[in-house]
Amino acid sequence: MRYYESLYIVNPSYEQDRLDEVMKTVSDKMGEYGFSIINHRLWGKKRLAYAIQKHKYGSFILLHYETETVENLDQFQRFMILEKPILRNQTVVLDTRPEVQKEDETVDESKDSVDSEDRNSEKKDKQKSEEEAKEVVAEESKETEDEVVEEKASTEEESVEKEILETVEETVEETVEVEEKEEVQE
Amino acid sequence: MAFQSRRKFCYFKENSITEVDYKDVKLLRRFVNDQGKIMPRRVTGTSSKMHRKLVRAIKQARNIALMPYTNISTES
Repeated sequence: MRYYESLYIVNPSYEQDRLDEVMKTVSDKMGEYGFSIINHRLWGKKRLAYAIQKHKYGSFILLHYETETVENLDQFQRFMILEKPILRNQTVVLDTRPEVQKEDETVDESKDSVDSEDRNSEKKDKQKSEEEAKEVVAEESKETEDEVVEEKASTEEESVEKEILETVEETVEETVEVEEKEEVQE
Repeated sequence: MAFQSRRKFCYFKENSITEVDYKDVKLLRRFVNDQGKIMPRRVTGTSSKMHRKLVRAIKQARNIALMPYTNISTES
């Protein structure tokens, strides 16, 4: 007798009813191939170390079974790959017969981890926004400084121009007056 | 003594563990660095026999998405 352990990941959006359906189809298929099931239970909803088909979480289902014929293992593997709700599966050979486990040892990481992840992301967002705000403020202050300097420069230029214009006008007027005086003298 | 070397020991031998389970991620994390790379035996001090089992377990855990192949892509 050979003992095997299969761990497969089901789509995380599946609720309990649909999970049960998937598990039932798998166990029916195993009955077809002549495997006898030792354990078949939900291990829990866990966060995946990397995204599979763009899913960040997955419902892990653990399956222990025993068989004498090895022939159908390939076909079973093929069935598991082709089954759409199963994202990934892995079968491992066990040396000894696994113990029959109880049903109530499920782990649900999704809620806590989602919360913590959200918090982390929120924190990150906050930090990012703060940093961005600081940068923006710094840039704005720089801009305002530049503007002030430019304004000063422009006002100075304007004043200089005004002075020049005034002086030019004055000289023109003086020359005009002088000419008039000369005419009068003649 | 300024350069007192730390004693290296096999974690599995010390805790009398004979088999490494790929589902025990908490244990496997000890033998992987932040990047997700498997640490060399000369660093961890694991015995040759257990290191072979450990490496197999880590690779199995990676395949079923319990452990990362690399940590760079997940952080971004």
